[in-house]
Formats: sequence, C-alpha cells, structure tokens
Amino acid sequence: MTQYNEVILVVEDDPQIRNFLCYTLQNEQFKFLSTGTAQGALNTVVSEQIDLIILDLGLPDFDGLKVIEKVREWSDMPIIIVSARDQDKEKAHALDLGADDYLTKPFSATELLARIRVAFRHYFRHASIQVQTEASVGELRIDFDKRLVTLADEPVHTTPMEYQLLALFFRNIGKVLTTSYILKEIWGTAYGEDTQALRTMMAGLRRKIEEKPAQPKYIITEIGVGYRLVED
Amino acid sequence: MIIAIKNRKKTLAVASLIIMLTIASITSYLFDRMGFPETNIVLIYFFSVILISRFTPGYGYGIVASIAATLLFNYLFTSPYYTLTVDNPSYIITFVIMTMTAVITSALTTRTTQNKLRAEEKEREAKALYNLTSRLTDALDIHQIASVSAQMISEVLNCEAACLPFNHKGEPEDYFIQQLREGKQLSEKVEDPDEIKYRISSLRNGYDITSRFYDWPIYGQENILGIIRIPVDTAEDLDETHRRLLLSMIENTALAMDRVYLAEERIRSFEETTQERHRGNLLRGISHDLRTPLSGIMATSEMLKGMTEPTDMRYEMLEAINNDAIWLHSLVENVLSLTRLQDGKLTLNKEEEALEEVIDDAIRQIKKRSPDQEIQVDMPDELLLIPMDGKLILQVFINLLENAIKHTQTSMPVTIIVKKEELENKVDISIVDQGSGIDEKDLENIFKPFYTSGAKHADAYNRTGLGLSICDSVVKAHGGYIEARNRTEQQGAEVIFSLPLEGDTIDTV
Repeated sequence: MTQYNEVILVVEDDPQIRNFLCYTLQNEQFKFLSTGTAQGALNTVVSEQIDLIILDLGLPDFDGLKVIEKVREWSDMPIIIVSARDQDKEKAHALDLGADDYLTKPFSATELLARIRVAFRHYFRHASIQVQTEASVGELRIDFDKRLVTLADEPVHTTPMEYQLLALFFRNIGKVLTTSYILKEIWGTAYGEDTQALRTMMAGLRRKIEEKPAQPKYIITEIGVGYRLVED
Repeated sequence: MIIAIKNRKKTLAVASLIIMLTIASITSYLFDRMGFPETNIVLIYFFSVILISRFTPGYGYGIVASIAATLLFNYLFTSPYYTLTVDNPSYIITFVIMTMTAVITSALTTRTTQNKLRAEEKEREAKALYNLTSRLTDALDIHQIASVSAQMISEVLNCEAACLPFNHKGEPEDYFIQQLREGKQLSEKVEDPDEIKYRISSLRNGYDITSRFYDWPIYGQENILGIIRIPVDTAEDLDETHRRLLLSMIENTALAMDRVYLAEERIRSFEETTQERHRGNLLRGISHDLRTPLSGIMATSEMLKGMTEPTDMRYEMLEAINNDAIWLHSLVENVLSLTRLQDGKLTLNKEEEALEEVIDDAIRQIKKRSPDQEIQVDMPDELLLIPMDGKLILQVFINLLENAIKHTQTSMPVTIIVKKEELENKVDISIVDQGSGIDEKDLENIFKPFYTSGAKHADAYNRTGLGLSICDSVVKAHGGYIEARNRTEQQGAEVIFSLPLEGDTIDTV
C-alpha cells in the first residue's frame, strides 16, 4: 500500500462521522488532522502544512462557507464538502466559492477515497504547468490540438460550443462542475443564469456520445448542482 | 286574548258608528228646527261619516255609515217625514249623490288612516328589527344570541317565545331558552332532540307544530342553526304583519348565528393550522437530527462489514445493522419530503428539468444500494423538459424503484417506460416490474399514508407505506395523477404516473 505524504484536515463536528472519516484515511495510509469547529479549521490551516480539507458545512460555531472563503484568500488547496441531501443551495454555493467537490451524506469509504484521488490529481496537474494535448475517459477521447472528439475511434461531430463544453469537462475529469460555472466558462458572464440553454445543449451532446441518454456513461447529472464527467 | 281584543275593537267601532250618527241626527234636527237650510244637514251627516271613517278600522264602517246617513236624512228630514219615501223625485238624485260622495269621502279618510297605521307599523317593525340587530351584534356566542332573540321576539309578539340553538354540527342542544313574562329566562330540557332535528330537517311549509309550540327553523348559510318556538295560541293568531316581522327577526338571528359560527370556525382552523405547523416543524426537526447519526451508522457498519470475513457470524449482524440503517435513512428522507409538502404548497420549487437527468440521478442512487439490480429505461429520443420540483420527483422515482425492487428477484429487470402524450400535453411514466404483483384488495389503498399490506409482505421493511403515499402527494401537487395496477400480459406490477408538460398545473396537495 502506498504511503502518502499529503496531510488531510478533517473538519466535522459529529464524532461518529469524524471517526469514520479518520479511520478511512488511516486505513489508506493518509496523514490527517481533525477538528470539530470552523475556528479550529482556520487555526490548523495556518499553523500546519495542510494539503486537502474535508469540510462539513454544518458546523457549530460558524458556517463552513466562511472557511472556504477564508482559505481561498491565500490558498487553492483542494476542499471537499460534506453535506446533507437537502443542502443543494449550500452545496452549489460552496462549489462556486471555490470548493472542489462534494459528498452527500450518507457516503461510503469508496466514494470518499475516489473524491480525494480526483481532487489531488487536479491539484497536481494544475501545479505542473505541463500542457495536456489529449485526454480520454472510456472510449471517449479528446484531442485538444486537433480539436477532435472521438468515440470508439469514430469521430463525433460536435458544434464549436459542444466542443468547448466537452473540453471543459475533460480538463476537469471526475470533478463536479456547477451549472453557473459552466455557463460562465462557455457563454461568458453576460449570459446570466440561462440553465435552460445548458440543459438543451447537454441533451444534444449526450445524444451524440451516450448510448442511452437516460443512463449516461460519461457525463452524469447531479440534480440541483451541476454535471460531472466520470473518471474511469 | 287577541280574539278578545278584536271583539272589543268591533264593539267599539259599532258603538261609535251609532253614537256619531245619533249626534248628527240630533244636531240636524235642532238645525232644522232653527230653520237652517237642508244643505247644512247634509254637511253635518258628511262630517259624521268622515269622523266614523277616521276612527273605525277598515272601509266597511265608513260605507255602512254613508248609507245609514242617507237613509236617516231621507227618513227624518225629507217629506213625507218618518218614511223612506219622498214626494219630490229630485231628492232621489240628492240621495244618490249624497251616498256616493259620503262613500268616496269615507274611503279616502279610511285610506289616509290606514296609511298612517301602516307607517306606524313599519316604524315599529323597523325599530324592533333595529333593536334586535344592535343587541345581536353585541352577543358573543350562540347562547347569548338565542337569549336576545327569544327576549325580543317575546316583546314584539307579546308572548313567551323560546329559542333552541343547534351546535356547529347542526345537532340540537340539550336545553332551550324560554322567555318568561316577568322578563326572566329559563333553560328548559329538550325532550327529544333527535326527533326535533328530524322534524325540522324534513319541513315542508316553513314551520313545525308541536303540542306547545310552533317551531320556526333558523336557516343558516349551510345548515339549520336553531329553532324559534312560539306558543301555540300566539302563533295561531299571528296576522300577516306579525308573521312577516317574526320571519325578519328569525332572519336576523340566523345572520348573527352564522357570524358567530364563522368566527369560531376561523379560530378553530387557525388553531389547527398552527398545531399542524408545530407538528410539521417537530417532525422535520427530529428527522433532521436523525439523519446525521444514521449516516454515521450506515458508514461505520458498512466499513466494519468490509473488515469482516463473510464467514464470520458478525458479518451477518453488521449487514443487518447496515440494512436497518439504510431503511431508517430512507424513511427519514421520505418524512422530510412529506413535511416539505404538507408545510404548504409554496415550497414546490418548480423549474424545467430534463426528465432523463432526473431518471439518471435516481438510477445511480438506487445502484448504490442495489448494485446488482438491472434497470432498463425506455424513453423517446426527444429531450423532455418538464416543469417540476426536481428533488421531489427524484424522490418519487427512488421510492417507486425501491418498491419495485423490493418485490422483484434481483435477476429480473425493472423497467422505466416514458411516453409523451402529445395530445394531452403530458408525459406518462410507468415503472414496471416482474415481481409478485399487487394484491387486488391492496390496489386502491396502496397510496394511502401508512397503509400496510395485510397480506404476504408484512416484513420489517414494509412497515409503513409512506413511500408510495409521498409519490401520490408529489405527483398530485404537480397536477398529475398516479395509479397502480397489475400487468395483464405477464406477472408483475406497474405504477403509472403522469406529469403535465407545461403551464396550468394546480398547486394543491
């Protein structure tokens, strides 16, 4: 089993979930610290070398969203949100504030570890300035230089907008992208919150790359939050 | 009593008729003696006729007086005297004109008198009604209203009236309020309320007659509010005016009673909604608090299970803990959805969602719990954007899929079929399984909250039928319908629900 050098900070007030999180991390040979309050999190982040934060949104002293804001003032370390199922608004808000991903309670150890892996991979890919020329998920492949998308080696005819959308997903494999983030990236800020246009385009794109649009293999929907290109 | 008054009035009228005519005759006789012309005598008779008309009721006395005056004039003052014959035929004309003039004059006088009387009566009526209304306005509850109206009606009709109020369910109360002559009131026991109710509700001609009272119902906007009881002898002699007045007073009483009941109803329903809201908040609070520890139990038990060999007997125990936690968790989610719905129709956050995305999310959540279950989707290629509360419809899919899976062997696929009904502007969605089907007698009750099938599936995970009843509420809130049936072509059950494609959805639960 690989020994990780990254340190993860667990911020969760419920002892049982905190124990579960810590135990899962320990099991995977991660180094970690834990705290039950937002203030504790802010203190630890500045005093210790932290590489990733797992953050519960409902903390006893103040809102987890504040923690994201504060941390984002000086660091772009990955932040993974832990939230209840009916906190969609907070979730989307947290992601827009700069959180990298989220987990909805109840979640399994597998889900948690998958999210951590994705977050680290992105973080380090961004850190190394190396330019990607191509990426793939399953049989879906994108060539950034040729602006070409292929599915099982067959070219997929995309509109320029659809290509941009796909490219955005491929640059963020495994990461959830909020509706407002996608809108801003593809249409620019002027377009506002026209989620309808995005839905329609997404439906069109799915019909080109997915075998069954209602059971997509590549781009899945997180209702109320956004979309995610699944990783292998 | 009224009969006595009437007789006295009649005697008085006849007496005044005779006296007036006698006085007129004597005066005329004196005038005749003094050698005044006959015209004066005629005028004196006219005068007496006017007086008689003025002071006697009705037209009759005036007409009798007119004819009598002419006859007296003929008998006493035209020759041959003391006979009803005349020497001079021109007198005939005098008599005819005299009679006609007297009759017309008396009629006019009587009409004036009657108008005056009627005006007075109207005024009395108005006053009585005004008094009643103003006192009823001050009445705070139904018994005060009954008491006031018994008292006022007794005063106006000069009798001992009573009032029996009915409660807000339309049932007669046990006691009625009896007005006594000295201005006191008495509560009297009702002998047989059910019989009164029956008789009043099957009334044909406006009132009911018992041995003691005539009972007039007080009709409210929706049901009978009570009865006004008038003693038999008074009621039998009611003239048109008093009857009308009585009906008006009953009408006013009804208005007042309606007002009180409406106010009470409002307070009651306000209290009910407040209670309902408190209950909802409590339920939501508890469910919320249950969620976090349940997530913990789910996660840790699953983890422990993963650390245990399947042959270890602890493995099975951990699995049971995990399954129970999963079941409790989905129950809590359902309760939360339910409180959101019951809280008011306003919390329906409708937005256009792509149906395929909702189905995708639902299937992925189901797969987390039942990874081996095959789920097929059969839907049109066209993008279906449907106005809906995404979270709630997602819950509907999850509940229906869970329900289908629960009754199906893992090897059998569950199918979601989506059909667009262009003409009816809606989408039909069915969740079809190949399981044991639904017992015929459960079919119609399956969407009722907490309905538990009494038949074969009474296992621990079927204790509350909350899931399906939430589907019912959510779909109906979206303006659609839901229905369950058994498949005809093969074994299995099918739940179909529809969602309107756009616009005109009603926000009711």
